[in-house]
Amino acid sequence: MSGVYDGLTVVEVADRRNQWAGKLLADGGARVIQIEPPGGSPGRWCGPFVDDEVDPDRCLDYWWYNTGKQSVALDIGRKPAQDLLRRLLARADIFLESTPPGTLRSHRLDYGSVSSNRALIYTSLTDFGQDGPWRDYQMNDAAHLALGGHMGSTGYSDPSLTPIGGQGHQGWHMGCAFALHGITLALFDRMTTGEGQYVDVSIHDSCAIGTESAVPEWLYNGATLYRQTGMHASARRQPDLELPTADGMYVIAVNQTFGDQGWAKLIEWMEEKGVAGELADPKYRDEGVRTADYRQGTAVREGIRRLIAASKGEEVFTRAQSYGISWGLVRAPEENYDVPHYQQRDFWRTVEHPEIGRAIPYPRGPYMSDALGIGPRGRAPHLGEHTRQVLEGDLGLPAAQIAALAAAGVIR
Amino acid sequence: MSAPATLRPGILSGVRILDFTWKTVGPWAPRLLTHFGAEVIHVERVGSWDDHRYAAHPSPIIEGPQKEFSTGQGSGPLHGGGQADGKKPYYSTPYFTILHHGKLAISLNTRHPKGLALAKRLIGISDALVENFSGEVFPSWGLSWERIHEVNPRLVYMSTSGFGHSGPYKAYRSFGPTAAAQSGLSLTSGLPDMPPAGWGFSYMDVMGGWMGGLALIMGLLQARKTGQGFYVDYAVTEGAMSLLGTYMLDYQVNGRTTRRPGFPPGNRSVFPALAPHNTYRCSGKDRVGQDWWIFIACETPQQFESLARLMGQPELCSDPRFATNEARVANQDELDAVIGRWVRPRRRYDVMRRCQEAGIIAAVVQSAEDRVEHDPQLKHRDMHPVVHHPEIGDFEYEAYPVKLSRTPAFVHGRAPLLREHNRYVYGDLLGLSEEEMKSLEDEKVI
Repeated sequence: MSGVYDGLTVVEVADRRNQWAGKLLADGGARVIQIEPPGGSPGRWCGPFVDDEVDPDRCLDYWWYNTGKQSVALDIGRKPAQDLLRRLLARADIFLESTPPGTLRSHRLDYGSVSSNRALIYTSLTDFGQDGPWRDYQMNDAAHLALGGHMGSTGYSDPSLTPIGGQGHQGWHMGCAFALHGITLALFDRMTTGEGQYVDVSIHDSCAIGTESAVPEWLYNGATLYRQTGMHASARRQPDLELPTADGMYVIAVNQTFGDQGWAKLIEWMEEKGVAGELADPKYRDEGVRTADYRQGTAVREGIRRLIAASKGEEVFTRAQSYGISWGLVRAPEENYDVPHYQQRDFWRTVEHPEIGRAIPYPRGPYMSDALGIGPRGRAPHLGEHTRQVLEGDLGLPAAQIAALAAAGVIR
Repeated sequence: MSAPATLRPGILSGVRILDFTWKTVGPWAPRLLTHFGAEVIHVERVGSWDDHRYAAHPSPIIEGPQKEFSTGQGSGPLHGGGQADGKKPYYSTPYFTILHHGKLAISLNTRHPKGLALAKRLIGISDALVENFSGEVFPSWGLSWERIHEVNPRLVYMSTSGFGHSGPYKAYRSFGPTAAAQSGLSLTSGLPDMPPAGWGFSYMDVMGGWMGGLALIMGLLQARKTGQGFYVDYAVTEGAMSLLGTYMLDYQVNGRTTRRPGFPPGNRSVFPALAPHNTYRCSGKDRVGQDWWIFIACETPQQFESLARLMGQPELCSDPRFATNEARVANQDELDAVIGRWVRPRRRYDVMRRCQEAGIIAAVVQSAEDRVEHDPQLKHRDMHPVVHHPEIGDFEYEAYPVKLSRTPAFVHGRAPLLREHNRYVYGDLLGLSEEEMKSLEDEKVI
């Protein structure tokens, strides 16, 4: 499979913040060499683990975020390792790092120290970027969702309950998306100029522009938004739209339109379930009447609530969609494995895992495109799996020197 | 600043993108490319407009009268337009200015044979085409991928849709909340044993749009390398599932499902299990009466020792309930109560500053007001530059969060007015004469 990042060499300093960006580079065909401390990337220690047994080579979070990468274990706190990394960067296309600002300068690995490789695209993805009053503050993913504004909009209609941040490293994902924007734009520029550059990406900046209408609502309307269960925060409190189904699931029943055809089908469906109630009244055949009721009244909303409560989740989703109504069923992530739609779109890509003696279907990635070729190209590396190969093959280190470095604990 | 209809500086100078997108997830993608000089032409339907362009309510903040629109141009609820009653005034809305700044705007009736011919000519002079209709719309205009590729073999065509343009769901409709729900993103957000909290905004319109923007840049890069155009079928639900890989693998390997007691864990951390790791109520309330909150976490023994000292309770470190992370996780209800009592009477930014000075992870749950008016970091990084708009006035909006040293991002100006660039695009780019344009207007083609 060819890919958009074919032929590129990426050096990535292992960190939980940046590993999704490195994964998409590897999934797009780049050779990604991840530099890990001899004790392993922090990404190897967070879990979940295979059979819940702690083992840095069997961390499933690490498996997902590091498909197709190579692992070189170096202690970059020590000078011989810094020299090796500098030599790797002299021949790399992209450097991806998330160390606290200033760290690499003390190692003589900052941009100024390695930019004699004029083609190098040096990308720092950090919590706050390289400058500013909060630059050195301590953060994690949930802290970014708090500070960036996502929690402020997310939670429950009950005002006594806490704001909520979604699980799954979403703050880091937002930073990684923009790190990849910067890298890919710099590659586009490099095609004509031959020159690389320094790319400074702040996770906080990235998160802060990702709260949809919250900022314009404040700027233009002076509005502060109410958190609402399972739906958009809003300047006005609105009735629930996350509605329970007969089989214990939830449907997000946001209506955009009530066209005549869709409405007729909806009423037919309600009558079939015996829940049409007053909506059987012919006055609701008038689009104006039912739309006004939906906006200000309760009859339509209550009818929809009864209908969903009387139907199973899967039925609600497929039947509403077949009537052109864009309701969504709240599925568990893993329930999508059984959905024929994604199977037919070749969304699940098999990755061999000799560690457990079988292959596992991984999500392909966001795009269906042979030309971009984004998809996992192999399992995540074991800790230090490629140390010797890279030091010998790429840097030409003699075996005796490699053994000495290993004995001194500089490499693993 | 105005939206200049001339060649722009930047990495993407000379790149032209035809933008057939509406609402939110689609428009984000090409907008991100305007910061680097791409010329993005936003196509709106004749006699109508993008849903996000106008609202029925004026802004109470804007000084002086806003321009009112009462031309009765609306033509249906989809693809722009609001009510078509011909009387109701419309007001420029803020979200449109964020999603479309730096773009050009034209009107075009693609259902008219002459309009379709113009669309093909525009495809012929563009580098990329992006749309976010359901799968059947473009082919119904006669613009299948094969036909588009024939018109311009170098063009990158990206469709952005909820479920993609193939498979059993290809005609299904989706917007942000649908994609978040179907993918599993909604289920992974919330308090244990409560209904899902989901996302209080369309995360998959925002992040989904950024992923779409990434595909566009990748596409332009690949097309420049190979000289060949191609098709990218981008499904937002698949983008969302690609943010949930760990849960997928945990299910495949360990058989663990996310639909289990205790999950999602609110703001606590499961993998790795860490405590404290939660939100705590501070003194004070926001403008609509919701309490103010702060998030605090300790990931190292040093951080917990610092927190205990800061709270004036150093003895917590030797308390068997809290001495190790394992013990703290086992007793986190009690631990959260201890921290909660300390935070409750305190001011949120004071708590954040004092924790951070002691090296502890602490972050105020900021509102939009907090970020725009008070966040010193965003101010320092110039994330809310002011742009002038003739219908709205001078307003801050959200900048591009990537700083490239040699080829910096630009803000190429405000969002375009309705049909502002018809003359430039049809006259200057396609070479139509004044008479031809007038006659196309009379025929309601443009």
